Amino acid sequence: MFSKILIANRGEIAVRIIAACRELGVATVAVHSEADRDCLHVELADQSVCIGPAASTDSYLNVTAVISAAEITGAEAIHPGYGFLAENARFAEIAEECGLVFIGPSAEAIRLMGNKSEARRSVAEAGVPVLPGSDGALESSRHALILAEEIGYPVILKASAGGGGRGMRLAWDGDELRNAYSMASNEAEKAFGDPTLYLEKFVQNPRHIEFQILADHQGRVVHLGERECSIQRRHQKILEEAPSAALDDELRAEMGRAAVAVARAARYTNAGTVEFLLSEDRTFTFMEMNTRIQVEHPVTELVTDVDLVREQLNIACGEPISIAKRRQIRPRGHAIEFRINAEDPDTLRPSPGRITQLALPGGPGVRVDTHLYSGYTVPPYYDSLIAKLLVHGKDRKEAIVRGRRALEMFRIEGIKTSIPLQLRILADPDFQTGDFNTSFMERYISK
Amino acid sequence: MFKFDELCELIRLVGSTEVASLEIEHAGGRLRIDGKAPVPVVNLGAAVPAPTMSAPQTVTTGAAPSGSTQGAPAAGSLEAAGAEEDVHYVVSPIVGTFYRAPNPDAEPYVKVGDAIESGGTLCIVEAMKLMNEIESDTSGTIVKVFVENAQPVEFGERLFAIRS
Repeated sequence: MFSKILIANRGEIAVRIIAACRELGVATVAVHSEADRDCLHVELADQSVCIGPAASTDSYLNVTAVISAAEITGAEAIHPGYGFLAENARFAEIAEECGLVFIGPSAEAIRLMGNKSEARRSVAEAGVPVLPGSDGALESSRHALILAEEIGYPVILKASAGGGGRGMRLAWDGDELRNAYSMASNEAEKAFGDPTLYLEKFVQNPRHIEFQILADHQGRVVHLGERECSIQRRHQKILEEAPSAALDDELRAEMGRAAVAVARAARYTNAGTVEFLLSEDRTFTFMEMNTRIQVEHPVTELVTDVDLVREQLNIACGEPISIAKRRQIRPRGHAIEFRINAEDPDTLRPSPGRITQLALPGGPGVRVDTHLYSGYTVPPYYDSLIAKLLVHGKDRKEAIVRGRRALEMFRIEGIKTSIPLQLRILADPDFQTGDFNTSFMERYISK
Repeated sequence: MFKFDELCELIRLVGSTEVASLEIEHAGGRLRIDGKAPVPVVNLGAAVPAPTMSAPQTVTTGAAPSGSTQGAPAAGSLEAAGAEEDVHYVVSPIVGTFYRAPNPDAEPYVKVGDAIESGGTLCIVEAMKLMNEIESDTSGTIVKVFVENAQPVEFGERLFAIRS
């Protein structure tokens, strides 16, 4: 095992990684911006280094500063967390060139999965179902029109380098597609410096189901079941749960095999997530692979009893996955994660500021991953996620009841949070029956 | 949300009482008035605070309270020496390793007592095998070097004090 690692992240995920390191006896180096001097991860790490000003482009995204911090502190490896540099292939490459272990997949795997049209092609070659669409990138708007006629409208254009909804355009006919092509291409150029697009059949009201996988350097790849992530708005997940009400054992096994095949096709190592769309007729197609630890990873930890961050560290230093080879991984009970954001629950606008009072819920089946403390000031520069409340129950019904009481017992004063919104979701009859898809949140967005 | 004279009245009220801070949310707006300067919270592990705080040390609490960390040594001796308004601090613009000389056998770029021109080289901070020459952004005399040769420095850490 490593003796010291650097955590190239902030907030709750940095604290989560420190927790895993402490249990493994690994020393930690925190990096922080000038705005994050008082952040909990700085306090809890064994060492800390200020790497730049508040703006993340000059601090948490500054490759030179992060690598330099690792060098001056003698860290052997870097855990990137999620966001920031986590899916930056160049960063992974530079770290390795500087003799540092990148705790994640290889730069090649990150690059392959980061190019959405290339990922689509290689996954299809591995026999995993993908949506009808272009084989790799589109050559022109004419190319897009011909393809769309073949597969039928509606279709969606997406940026090859894309993510987060930018460079994405929906078209219901040829006229719309012509317009959408130039708009999406411009947007993709601006956002990612790469104007290439690909095209897919658009699935209406799908579910978003993702599979957690682990892959080690010995060639073993396992999946740890699914997470249901359909409760989202503008591609931002709000609540995740496992298992999904939409899957039975047979479909779970089939999708799990597909997730493993995706990882194998990318020669993937470490922890990753394969995202699928599940349509109303229960057919699933590959959407993308996230080559990092996910925000919602604790949902899987609760139902499988596997510490995913510990596995990441083990795998990165060459050890095999610690799960016994014969053990069949099946979800035990039901877990739900509620993302608590510093935002107004009605307008969904960010609400940074000072936390004047804080009381975290506890009791049976409750876990809170957070960097909050009473007196902490939530800075306006970064992600609004301030805590993840997780509940675990013997079944979905128990998890929902537990979630409600835990949300009610969660006290944060001084800023506005998404707790009231989460309570409204829990009270929704469609949520309670498990009958929902990615259009669910539309009813809660005030026009 | 509030009229000007209402605001004045509120500020007067808070100021005349022991209320530490008042926060009002009303009609979509938010107002906060801090009362008498609260007792400053001092980070554990920092330099022992002087029992009497002189006026310039009062830190305005903002998004980034500039608490002292391991990397920012309190320049107590300098400040205690008297009015040092003409002293300028050069801070490290990057994370890296601090070198006072271009190579191990060379003389340091500058020593205490040396005169330095604006734009003159003060030291090197190495980051990822790149030697970054740090230039002075002011003219004057070097009065203090805060960091030992070959020691790591953080972003924003004080390197030199220069009196103009």
